[in-house]
Amino acid sequence: MALIEVKNLIKNFDGKNILRGVNMELHEGRSKVVMGPSGCGKTTLLRCLNLLIAPTAGQIIFKGNDITRPGVDIRRLRQDIGFVFQHFALYSHLTVEENVTLGLRKIKKMKKKDAVEKATYELERVGMFDHRNKYPAQLSGGQKQRAAIVRALAMDPAVMFLDEPTSALDPQMSREVVTVINKLYLDNITMLCVTHDPFLAKYISDSIVFMHEGVVVAEDIAERLFYDHDDPRIRQFFLSVIDHR
Amino acid sequence: MNVFLNDLIAYWPQILMGLKNTLLLMAVMSITGFFGGIGVFYLSISKWEIVRKWTQSYISFFIGTPLLVHLFLMYYGLPRLGIHLSAFTVCVIGFTLNVSAYNARYLMTAYRGLHKSELDAALAQGFTPFETFRLIILPQVLRLSVPSLTNQVIQNIKDTSVAFLIQYPDFFTQMQEIAAVNFQFFKAYMTAGLVYMAMVSVIVVAARKMERQIALPGLQT
Repeated sequence: MALIEVKNLIKNFDGKNILRGVNMELHEGRSKVVMGPSGCGKTTLLRCLNLLIAPTAGQIIFKGNDITRPGVDIRRLRQDIGFVFQHFALYSHLTVEENVTLGLRKIKKMKKKDAVEKATYELERVGMFDHRNKYPAQLSGGQKQRAAIVRALAMDPAVMFLDEPTSALDPQMSREVVTVINKLYLDNITMLCVTHDPFLAKYISDSIVFMHEGVVVAEDIAERLFYDHDDPRIRQFFLSVIDHR
Repeated sequence: MNVFLNDLIAYWPQILMGLKNTLLLMAVMSITGFFGGIGVFYLSISKWEIVRKWTQSYISFFIGTPLLVHLFLMYYGLPRLGIHLSAFTVCVIGFTLNVSAYNARYLMTAYRGLHKSELDAALAQGFTPFETFRLIILPQVLRLSVPSLTNQVIQNIKDTSVAFLIQYPDFFTQMQEIAAVNFQFFKAYMTAGLVYMAMVSVIVVAARKMERQIALPGLQT
C-alpha cells in the first residue's frame, strides 16, 4: 500500500484551475521528485498534500486515511510530514538549536534535555552542530537550509516534503544542500521534492514526476526523462534546464 | 524664588502624593494597555473577516478621537445613565482603551514586516494557529516593536497630566494648586515640566538598555 495516494486532485484559485486532476503515489522508503515549468502546480500540489491549502476536489489518502474528509486531525497529520521551504523559513528569533527543539518540546512534548539530545544528533548528521547557537541571520543560505532540513527531520516524520530546497541558493551552497538530501535518500527517507534543479532531482530520486498545466504527464527515472522522452513538452523543458554541452 | 521654594516644601506631601498617583496611573495603563494591545492585535489578524473589521474600527475610533473626549464621556456622561465611576477607574479604562489601540497598531506594523513563510512553517510543523501566534509571531513583533512600545510608555506618562481635568489628583494637579495659591504660574509649570522630563529620561535610558539587550545577533534593530 502506498504511503500517499493522490486521486484526481483538483485545486481552483479564483476560477483558475491550478491542479486539474493529479494522480500520483508515493511508497514508503521511496523518493519522488516533481518537476515541470513554473506555474504548472508543483508547489500547490505539495501544499495541498499537507493541507496548507485546501484542495477543491479529489482524494489524498495518507497512511490509508482520506485526509480530505472533514474532521481530519490536521495537527496530527502535519506532525507526520516534514516540510522544507524554498526560503528556509527558520524562526528568526530562535537559534538553530531552538528552531529544532521547539517542535520537539511543544508538539512532541519531549523534555528539554531529550529534545536537545535529539537536536544534537540530527545537527551532527548534517554538519550543523557547530552552528547550533547561531541565529538564522548569522548563517549562510546553505546553512539555513540544512538547519531547516534538520528541524523537519528531527520530528521523525513519515515523509519529507521539500519545496524547491536549492532554488534560493548559489551553486556552491546548493551542492551543500544536495549532499545532505542525497544522504537522506541513501538512508531511505521517504521524500517528495519539488524542484527545477535537474542535478538535485537526479541525485535524490527513484523517479521523477513531470507536471504540465496542473496534471501529471509522465513519470520515469531521471535518465529517460531528461534525455530521451517522446513528449515534446518534456524534451523542451529539459533542454532549457540541462546544460547539454 | 524663595517664596516658591517655601511653597514647594510646604506642599511637599501633596506633591509626593501627586507623583505617586501619576506613576501609579502610568504603570497601570502601561501594563493594561500592553496586554490590551496584544489582545487587539491578536483579533486584528483573525481568520474571520468580521472580527478583523470590528477590530480595525475599534483602532480607528480610539486613534481618531481625542483621549479627553473618552475621559469626559465616561466621567461626566455615564452618571447620566446612572453609572458612577471614580476618576481613577475612568482614567484606567479610558487610557487602557486608548493605549491598547495604539499598541495594537504598532504590533500590526511589525507583523507586516515578518516573513510569512515562518508562519507557514509553524503550521506545517503541526503548531495550532494560537501556538503559532504565541511562539512565533508574538515574540518577534514584540521585539520589533520595542522602540514604539517604549515611546508609548513615554507618551503615557505625559498624558497622565490630562487626568487633572476629571479631578484625578495627579502630580500636575498639585502643581496647578501651588500656582493657584502663589500665582507663580511660570515657575510651577516649569518645575512640572522638569519633573516630567526627569521621569521620561529614566524610561528612555531603561528602554534603550532593553533594546540593546534583546537585539538579535546578525540583525539590525
